[in-house]
Amino acid sequence: MNILEAKNLNKYFYDPKKFKALDNLDLTIEKGDFVSITGKSGSGKSTLLYLLSTMDTDFEGSININGSEMQGRNNSWLADFRNKHIGFVFQFHFLLPEFSVLKNVMLPGLKRAAFPPQELEQKAMDLLKLLDVQDQALKRASLLSGGQQQRVAIARALINDPLILMGDEPTGNLDSKNTGLVFDLFKKLSAEQHQTMLIVTHDEEFAKNTDKTIHISDGRIS
Amino acid sequence: MKKIITDFKLAASIAFVHMSAKLKQTIIATIGVALGITIFVFMIGFIQGSQNYMQAIMFEQSPHLRLFNEVKLSDKTIIDNIYPNQINTVGHQKPKDIFMNLKDGKQAVKEIRKNPLVKTVSGSVSTKVFYRLGAVSINGTILGINFEEANALFNLENKIVSGSFTELATMPNSIVVGSGLARKLNVKTGDKIELTTEKGANFSISIIGVFKTGLVDIDNQQSYGSIKTVQRFLNVPSSYLTDIQVKLFDPELAPDEAKRLQKNYNYSGSDWKKDNTTLLEGAALQNMITYSVEVVLLLIAGFGIFNILTMMIYEKMKDIAILKAIGFSNGDVRRIFMTQAFVIGIIGATAGLLFGYLISYAISKMPYHSDVMFSLDHLPVSFNPLYYIMGFSFGILTTAIAGYLPSRKAAKVDPITILRG
Repeated sequence: MNILEAKNLNKYFYDPKKFKALDNLDLTIEKGDFVSITGKSGSGKSTLLYLLSTMDTDFEGSININGSEMQGRNNSWLADFRNKHIGFVFQFHFLLPEFSVLKNVMLPGLKRAAFPPQELEQKAMDLLKLLDVQDQALKRASLLSGGQQQRVAIARALINDPLILMGDEPTGNLDSKNTGLVFDLFKKLSAEQHQTMLIVTHDEEFAKNTDKTIHISDGRIS
Repeated sequence: MKKIITDFKLAASIAFVHMSAKLKQTIIATIGVALGITIFVFMIGFIQGSQNYMQAIMFEQSPHLRLFNEVKLSDKTIIDNIYPNQINTVGHQKPKDIFMNLKDGKQAVKEIRKNPLVKTVSGSVSTKVFYRLGAVSINGTILGINFEEANALFNLENKIVSGSFTELATMPNSIVVGSGLARKLNVKTGDKIELTTEKGANFSISIIGVFKTGLVDIDNQQSYGSIKTVQRFLNVPSSYLTDIQVKLFDPELAPDEAKRLQKNYNYSGSDWKKDNTTLLEGAALQNMITYSVEVVLLLIAGFGIFNILTMMIYEKMKDIAILKAIGFSNGDVRRIFMTQAFVIGIIGATAGLLFGYLISYAISKMPYHSDVMFSLDHLPVSFNPLYYIMGFSFGILTTAIAGYLPSRKAAKVDPITILRG
């Protein structure tokens, strides 16, 4: 079953001059796939990911996630969709520094408001336990190490049971030990929970170990 | 609906975390708003208070409209009547030696009393006199009144400091003098003084009371006698009246009614608006100044809020991008920053009202003596709730405007450019 279908994707940048970043790109991802996207910098792999994540709405073509078309939707609909169905992990951990680790993880769930806060807190604690950072739960996010922050960010991405977990070089800013840790985690999520994952990386080692690798150059799949 | 409430709660909780992280700047912005509102409440209360006080005294002492006789040069000489078609010049034309009385004044008073617009009317005789005691001689006016009528107009009873008005009609040659005049003559109730009229007639009179209106001009030179007494001083018949004073049910009708009566009876006349032009125009000017100062103060406070929010948004660009990535819409982000603006605004405005009230209260209890134009023993301050409501609304309005622009900017932050680094 295809959970994500992209057809005829075209994306232009206009600054400093008109430049075609994605060129008639087609892509499908099946439920439960652990997919990596690789390519040189400037190849358009991150651009593709931001389109698929629904944050970038300025594109031509069609993106269909779980039966819903993303093209032409307004900001609040997309925000809501993102909140419910897409978990995102960035290269630079990107936690809210003034909030506690626990609150950071709970935030997308609080926004969704599908569960009462107590239940959500329990779920967040379970996720932190899964990622082995439960003892940091009440610390302020800014006090954690980079590896710890990235694991917390993954917990945050998972709090709403997303259809797809997307990552923009989630290990790009980590040392080899933490990279290994995070990769094992992704593996575990894929194997045990059949979590669909779409990870942009330029780490060949990482890509080799995923179910499927999509290589992008000059805005096309090659 | 429930979703909207949780959205608001969530936005508020994020706003509070932001503000407590920037507590110092938040407090400074709040103080800015509070200061603006404090000064507004205090200034407007003080200015309005003194205006109300002055106007109350002034208007109590001034009838809505008055009719009198004026010395006029006749605009036509007798020669003009005889030779109307040529240019006639008369040098050193003198006013006619006329009585200052109103023609048929008593009849006019009776007719005006029947007018349904009129609340009370009083006919009186006024004349210039010299008050004398030993070597001291002070000029002033004496007003011959019918006490009941004049009391209904000017509330004289309440102005009495010592003695009373009640014997005015029964005791011959008795007067009630203004407090300033009594002080200058160094007399009190029960004393006797000499009075000289313009024509040179001398009378010995007894003081049966002292009044104080608060209007320095009146208290320093005026006295009241009965109509009969003053008519006897002037040696005129009992039909002699020089002034008719009228209070209407609706003071706004006074100018038109004054004109009509003047034309009807061929008297000169005036109304309270004409008599108090300076006071009324001064009040308008003071209000204008108060509001301009307020606009400037709130503009400064608004800049404070604008500043802190703009700074906050630049610092929190990354946070805004994250919030959008995890599913916060543009509206949610705007709500977070508007909440901060409103919290600053509401706390600031409330504190401002409180401090404004306290300062106003302190000022109103402070002794302050003045005898310039109006007698004061403390500063009059208005505590009209309207000004407090106005101050609060001004504060909220300013914060809303000052908060809106940065909030909109925050909502427009493009998460991708920031997240890509």
